[in-house]
Amino acid sequence: MMNSNLGRSMGALCLALGLASQVMAETPIKIGVVTPLSGTYAGIGQPIRWGMEMAAKEINEAGGIAGRQLQLIFEDEEANPAVAVQRAERLIQVEKVDFLTGTVNSGSTLAVGQLGERNNTLVSTTVSYADSITGERCSPNVFRVNARAEQQSIALAAWLAKSKPDARVFYIGPDYEMGRSTVAAFKAKAEQYGLKTVGEFFAPLDAKDYTQYFNQIRAARPDVIYTSVAGNDTVRLFSQLAEFGLMRDVTMIGSAGVITSQNIKAVGKAGDGFTTGTGYSPDLNIPENKTFVAAYKALYKQDPDTFAADSYGLIYGYKAAVEKANSTDTDKVRAALQGLSWSTPQGTKQIRAGDHQGIQDMLLVSIKDGQFNVIDKVPAEEAIGPDVCTKF
Amino acid sequence: MELLEYIQYVLAPQVLNGLTVGVALILVALGLTIIFGLLDVLNMSHGEFYAVGAFLTIGLGAMGVNFWALIVLAPILMIPLAIAVERFLIRKVYDGADRHVTTLLVTFGLALVMEDVLKLIFGANPHRPENPLPGASEVLGIVFPHYRFLLIIVGAFIILVISYIVYRTKLGSMVRAAAYDRNMAASLGVPVGLIYSGTFAFGVGLAALAGVLLAPIYSVFPTMGRDFIFMAFSVVIIGGMGSILGAVVAGLLLAQISSLSSLFIEPVWTDPIVFGVMVIFLMFRPQGLFGRIGHA
Repeated sequence: MMNSNLGRSMGALCLALGLASQVMAETPIKIGVVTPLSGTYAGIGQPIRWGMEMAAKEINEAGGIAGRQLQLIFEDEEANPAVAVQRAERLIQVEKVDFLTGTVNSGSTLAVGQLGERNNTLVSTTVSYADSITGERCSPNVFRVNARAEQQSIALAAWLAKSKPDARVFYIGPDYEMGRSTVAAFKAKAEQYGLKTVGEFFAPLDAKDYTQYFNQIRAARPDVIYTSVAGNDTVRLFSQLAEFGLMRDVTMIGSAGVITSQNIKAVGKAGDGFTTGTGYSPDLNIPENKTFVAAYKALYKQDPDTFAADSYGLIYGYKAAVEKANSTDTDKVRAALQGLSWSTPQGTKQIRAGDHQGIQDMLLVSIKDGQFNVIDKVPAEEAIGPDVCTKF
Repeated sequence: MELLEYIQYVLAPQVLNGLTVGVALILVALGLTIIFGLLDVLNMSHGEFYAVGAFLTIGLGAMGVNFWALIVLAPILMIPLAIAVERFLIRKVYDGADRHVTTLLVTFGLALVMEDVLKLIFGANPHRPENPLPGASEVLGIVFPHYRFLLIIVGAFIILVISYIVYRTKLGSMVRAAAYDRNMAASLGVPVGLIYSGTFAFGVGLAALAGVLLAPIYSVFPTMGRDFIFMAFSVVIIGGMGSILGAVVAGLLLAQISSLSSLFIEPVWTDPIVFGVMVIFLMFRPQGLFGRIGHA
């Protein structure tokens, strides 16, 4: 009697468990994507969306993550931290998402990260550069799979020290907070690598004519000019430097935003030879990237950019973590993500356990005939920089 | 010896650079001062006409039109647009009670519309025609690009031609007469309506010409009209409203102030200094250096 009762209960339990796992298999894993789909940053939100949708489609067609389908839920954050928090809150409370990503500006990432920490949800950015996200303002619930500002600076400084040892470097920045901080950050790295600073100036944003500063450059006789101007300021600075013959025998380098697809045509020949450090280039010659670029181009009729590649890679990273944890539970996935290494279009990426920063090879890209080409690579370990996160 | 080197390597190049910026500034300010002095209209859309000239360089250049031909072509192509604006916008409000305010508002509105139309047609990204005269020469240790040298020559030539037309020809005296007293001029047989349209078109053509000439150095984008307009207004105010000589002197003066001051102070302070000079003029000599054309 006892035995048969026990047997029956066991059977019922097994049945229940079986049913439960059946139900589990049918509910999709939800990833909330809070990203700018309108406004100034819509141009960045688009490749993020495309990269993630392509990865989700591939994963679902191949059977999903541990048998469960992957569902992406998009919300427009309008590149505004206040809106981002509100939309992320909806995704957590109403949609009960398992993971959050998509934020672009660093303010949104930090704000959504705090929300994730309060609600026990994991968050990862695929775009934000600010060092603080995985630095002094790091959070146990926040990850970053893209290269941060410091990785770009180190890569560029390391490459410069190798290809032009003892170079004399001149700095030109736009006169506002971002411009001054990018120059200061790179200068500090360059000086660590033994490069000599021979002068600097900061011109107002939207300066018409840079010629009034050219004497300082001429007097300093630099081998290298580093700049962090952007947009139309780049067009003017570069064409005027070329006009005055100041680019002869000088290597132009700078931050990643100096020359983009928006101004590369207007910069024209003056941009040839400009070199910057970046986490990705569609030109990267490894099999993972070739497959990725071909699929992306077939789907969207254009080359992927850094945002698309990092966002595509993140979805696969999350898949690897969930499979490793065999769960979507926050604590288990966090543990799985720490130290995880997985394959992305940029090659093997790893997440540093100490600060949740993605570690990857950094590329040096240089412009030739109006096209960015990969000219060199700085190994991941060399470019990563110290772990300064003390919160976990 | 050190002083000599300072003059040769620091001061002289800076003065030369200031000179090219000054010529650029004068080219933009000339059209503005002529329209203001002769028509008594503050043309807030002047910067956008300058932008249209620059975009003509991009648009027609893409169709294969030679850059040098554009210097002649662009101002001519602006004539119909300018006449339409004068006839159908400015003249509608010209005789109203508050001419300065209404013409200012009408041209300001026009500026906003033109900027957005340029954005719709060409997109928000910057463009730049290739420098038609690349290269630079070094004389006495001073490097000077050929195109900027040409700009100074062409600029000086344009200034002389305009002064000649306004001060030495019959057409010029009719224009000045119309500016001084339009009713008297009309009763003496001066075709005032035609003179007004023509003067406006002339000023607008000058803005377009400046747009073409400066496009290779300053690049081309929809909001470029705002670039020079405040400096140009300062030039007109300091030089005297409508005075051609005043525009030339004030343009050179302001450009040198901004160029030389950047040797000694942070570059961001040059704008406050330039506008400070303008404020001082408005306070102590509101008629400007040379006073108004047709009235002085």
